[in-house]
Amino acid sequence: MGRGSRRRFRSPAPKLTNKDRLALYGKVLKEARPIWKWIVVSCLLCCVIIVCATVGPKLTGALTDEIYAYWQAGNRGIALVEPMIPTLLTLLGVYTLGAIMRWLNMYLMNNVVSHHYTCAIRIRMSDKVRRLPVKFVDGTPVGQILENMTDDVSAMGNSVHQVVNTMMQGILQMIFISVAMLLEDWRLGLIVLATTPASVLLSVWLSGKGRKYHHQNFAEAANLYSVVEESYTNFATTKAYNLEGDLVGKHAAVNGRQKEAQEKALFLSGLAQPIITLVSGLTFIAVNLVGGFLAVKGLVPVGTVVTIVLFARQFSSPLEQIAAGVAQMQRTSAAAYRVFNFLGMEEEDPRSGEVDPKNVKGDVEFRHVAFSYDPQTPLIGDLSFSAKQGQTIAIVGPTGAGKTTLVNLLMGFYDIDGGEITVDGVPLSQMDRDAARELFAMVLQETWLFRGTVAENVAYGKPNATREEIIRACDQAYCDHFIRTLPKGYDTIIGDESTTLSGGQKQLLTIARAILSDRRLLILDEATSNVDTRTEILIQKAMNHLMEGRTCFVIAHRLSTIVHADRILVIRDGDIVEMGAHKELLKKNGFYAQLYASQYDKEEA
Amino acid sequence: MKRIFSHLLPYRKGMIWASVLMALASVGQLLLPAYMSAVVDEGIYAQDFPVILRYCGIMLLISLLAVGAGIVGRKLASTVVSGFCADLRSHIFRKVMGISHRAFGQMDTGAMVTRSTQDVGTVSWVADMLSSNIISIPAMFIGGVVLSFMADPILALVVLCSVPLVFVMVAIIGRKVTPRWQRSDDYIDRQNELMRQRLRGIRVIRAFRREPDEHRKIAEATDIMADNIIKANVSMQSLNPIATFLLNSATVLILYLAALRMENGTSVATGGDVLAIVQYVAYIMTGVLAASHAIVMIPRAGVACRRILEVLDLPEDEQNQGQEQEFSGKVTLEDVTFSFEADSQPAVKNANMEILPGQRVAIIGSTGSGKSTLVKLLLGFRQPSSGRILFDDTPSLDLTGGCIRRQISCVLQKTAIFTGSIRENIAMGKPDATDEEIWRALEIAQIKDFVEKLPDKLDYFLELSGANLSGGQRQRIAIARAIIKDAPIYIFDDSFSALDFLTESRLRARLRQELKGKTQIVVTQRVTTAKNADRIFVMDRGLVVDAGRHEELLERCQVYREIYVSQTGGEA
Repeated sequence: MGRGSRRRFRSPAPKLTNKDRLALYGKVLKEARPIWKWIVVSCLLCCVIIVCATVGPKLTGALTDEIYAYWQAGNRGIALVEPMIPTLLTLLGVYTLGAIMRWLNMYLMNNVVSHHYTCAIRIRMSDKVRRLPVKFVDGTPVGQILENMTDDVSAMGNSVHQVVNTMMQGILQMIFISVAMLLEDWRLGLIVLATTPASVLLSVWLSGKGRKYHHQNFAEAANLYSVVEESYTNFATTKAYNLEGDLVGKHAAVNGRQKEAQEKALFLSGLAQPIITLVSGLTFIAVNLVGGFLAVKGLVPVGTVVTIVLFARQFSSPLEQIAAGVAQMQRTSAAAYRVFNFLGMEEEDPRSGEVDPKNVKGDVEFRHVAFSYDPQTPLIGDLSFSAKQGQTIAIVGPTGAGKTTLVNLLMGFYDIDGGEITVDGVPLSQMDRDAARELFAMVLQETWLFRGTVAENVAYGKPNATREEIIRACDQAYCDHFIRTLPKGYDTIIGDESTTLSGGQKQLLTIARAILSDRRLLILDEATSNVDTRTEILIQKAMNHLMEGRTCFVIAHRLSTIVHADRILVIRDGDIVEMGAHKELLKKNGFYAQLYASQYDKEEA
Repeated sequence: MKRIFSHLLPYRKGMIWASVLMALASVGQLLLPAYMSAVVDEGIYAQDFPVILRYCGIMLLISLLAVGAGIVGRKLASTVVSGFCADLRSHIFRKVMGISHRAFGQMDTGAMVTRSTQDVGTVSWVADMLSSNIISIPAMFIGGVVLSFMADPILALVVLCSVPLVFVMVAIIGRKVTPRWQRSDDYIDRQNELMRQRLRGIRVIRAFRREPDEHRKIAEATDIMADNIIKANVSMQSLNPIATFLLNSATVLILYLAALRMENGTSVATGGDVLAIVQYVAYIMTGVLAASHAIVMIPRAGVACRRILEVLDLPEDEQNQGQEQEFSGKVTLEDVTFSFEADSQPAVKNANMEILPGQRVAIIGSTGSGKSTLVKLLLGFRQPSSGRILFDDTPSLDLTGGCIRRQISCVLQKTAIFTGSIRENIAMGKPDATDEEIWRALEIAQIKDFVEKLPDKLDYFLELSGANLSGGQRQRIAIARAIIKDAPIYIFDDSFSALDFLTESRLRARLRQELKGKTQIVVTQRVTTAKNADRIFVMDRGLVVDAGRHEELLERCQVYREIYVSQTGGEA
């Protein structure tokens, strides 16, 4: 229903061969190992349920037989109810037992199977994220991962639930009822056995036809969603360019297509029911005809005809369920495939090696480093430079030139292809990944705050920090003042999209976070674009404070940093084109000089 | 709910026919056991095979008619439902496109999107259920009771009582389940929010070694969500065994009463009638079970309807009256004050500006200084609370919104990219633009080189929100769109922020050549962007604190100097 339509993202369905499907079902089955005992219990429950479901009509038939015989004989005054009471009570007991077992089984299915295949798998996926390389996260839309975790897992869970529950129950029920019917009267039994599969085949065929339109309907609904979303998010531009009419037209076209697909999908899926009804009606008539004939001849009692009619009713529903289960398995195999694909994703290889953050001085050296995001387009061929303890390295270049690459390499978010990066002479590749990361503090242009209090956000790099330490860090980052003006001070809840704080204030908080975490090495991505002037002055002061005595890598936007940096790396299209101190580079009169001049340009009119 | 379903009115004929036909189909189904009882009584009892044959013939006829009625009914119903849903979707969308900028701002955009899509989806789903399942339940129920009454009134009473009992169960469970679903929905959102936050912040999280904590938070949310979903499902699925049990017990009761009455000699039912009544109960049971899942959803549709109405009740755009007039490019602000809420701090205070045709003007100020509000006022999205804006001495209030916006070409702070080709995105500024003109606009906007390297060039398909472009590329596409629109006034609201200095400087030089004679208003926070303008207005906390050329301002305006120093380190 509507739940599905919240999706913003739609991954393409993988093309699966039958072999893939089998392998997939194998994986799904294997997943059941921890709960196999419960599945056995469920099987036993199902057997009881089916016995009850078979005995019920049998007893009802017997009872109607008695009533019928009594009525037919017209023998008034003889006891009818008295001898029926035990059977009636048994029947009631059978129905009660059946209901209780059904409920128990349903409860078990939900709490064990559904829980195992939805909640537990989601938690495992979340756990998986811990070990995924940053490269994967960078290359995968967030929407896709969220879709895997919610919609795909639900689809798979429902499918498993349905398959285990209804199919198992359905198959058992069919076997029992077939046997019971044949035992009751083989002729009438055969009629039912012959006609019912026809209705199931018909409905499967129809739902296959309908599926195409259902897919179309979903696809158009997703398209319509995009039209609506972009029209609303671009509302101001729409008005400014008088585009309302165009967009209404665009919407109407997609809407019309959705209407058509929806109409067909509704009609075709709606057809199944009357057709199944027709076939079961035909079965009913055939049983009446043959049963009537046999009864007239005195070959079967009337109760048998009633029993068969009641059985026939119970016979068609499990078949439908099995058919629906098979269809659902096919439908959701794509979802299950994505889930297992995610769980099987290659993980960040753990590096090992002891690091003692306290004794690190902070000499960093790049030796013949080679790197590329994609082997087709080499990015860094052979980069060497060194930063002594306490020095500042600035990285400048036009937008999109790949300035953040250095951050990725230093932090081990991406692995270098050649050469080595050393800290105090020890290659990063010989240090435990997490420990190596702990040597650095980062302030990134894209501020990241999570939903929580201000204090929690500041203490993110040092969870056990005392309130005094937090306040001291904030004071040094010039944000203590504005934090105190917030409604609840340090305990105010903020979030990434929070409007309580301005962009600059968020940036100051991340600086406080870096100050508090107190690392020997520092990576700064200076942010200026959406910060107001007064805050910008504060940020600058705070950054200077933070940089004192630390080895710093600064992605520079502001001239003041560039001018005072010990070494400037000038990047263009991913390449380091120039390297040196400010004055040297100006003398060279190359790309850097051009960049520098553009900030003070006089336009030529 | 009523107003939403009033969209069904145009379809009332189809709807009535669909209901009638589907009711007939279910009655036809019920008639089969009735004839079976006749087969038993008159055929088997009387040992009369031809009678059996005749009745079977009648049953066949009824079955075929019922199926025919059922199919035609479905066809009509699917037309009605899909038409109704499409009308509703279209109505909401048109409504939103027609409301004023101000009304649009009253609701969160995400909420508005949810109402136009997801909530409509819920309503359609219920409409579909109503038409396919629920419609036939009353017919089935009434038919069953009537047929039973004709056989034996006392036995019919059992049928009459058992079904409402099931519906009471449905209602109780429905009430219990709804809050659970709400809670599980909340936690799905929470889980997604946490995960999105975590993926976005993966660098910071790893740098601070906090992955285990992030994982724990998600696991907790997932647990609560799963717990609620499972409890909701258990309640929902309890319906099946309980309803089955109730109706099965009714069968037992009917058999008992039938036997009792027959023994007493008070029974009017024949043996065949008892068989028939037992089967009516079975038929009704199947129908009720199918419908119960749909009925539980009806309260959700009610909630969805209420949310849709919030959108439909927003006020229409009022600015459609006024005169049309050609602008020369002169814009005057006379003592303009504006506040978003009647009693809140004004975002713009007593602003006076005079912008001459062909002048290049910059408005500089930090965030929250009122620059973007000023742009909204110029575009006629909002009206000044006091004071007035004049275009060539005509007050903006005397002009239509369309007239103003046709003659101002703007790039707004929030870059707008529409799904579609680059060509379509640019041509929005000039629907009849030739490819040559588009290339030229791209060249001026400094993005021609990039587009030329693309495999499809102008036909390159831009995804939702321009996801396959970088921030700077998106900005330049929007700039090209503004350039191609021929207008006397151009406004660039913080439109160069994602460009590096070099690109920006080239772009400004080209704009200066190309838009010669046109009025250019550049809103910015960067001194480098503003400094070459003919006149710079400096804004601070809603006030226009000073105006003049770069050198003048540097000398006398403290706010401007502060901005300058902070951005350049005081050099140059």
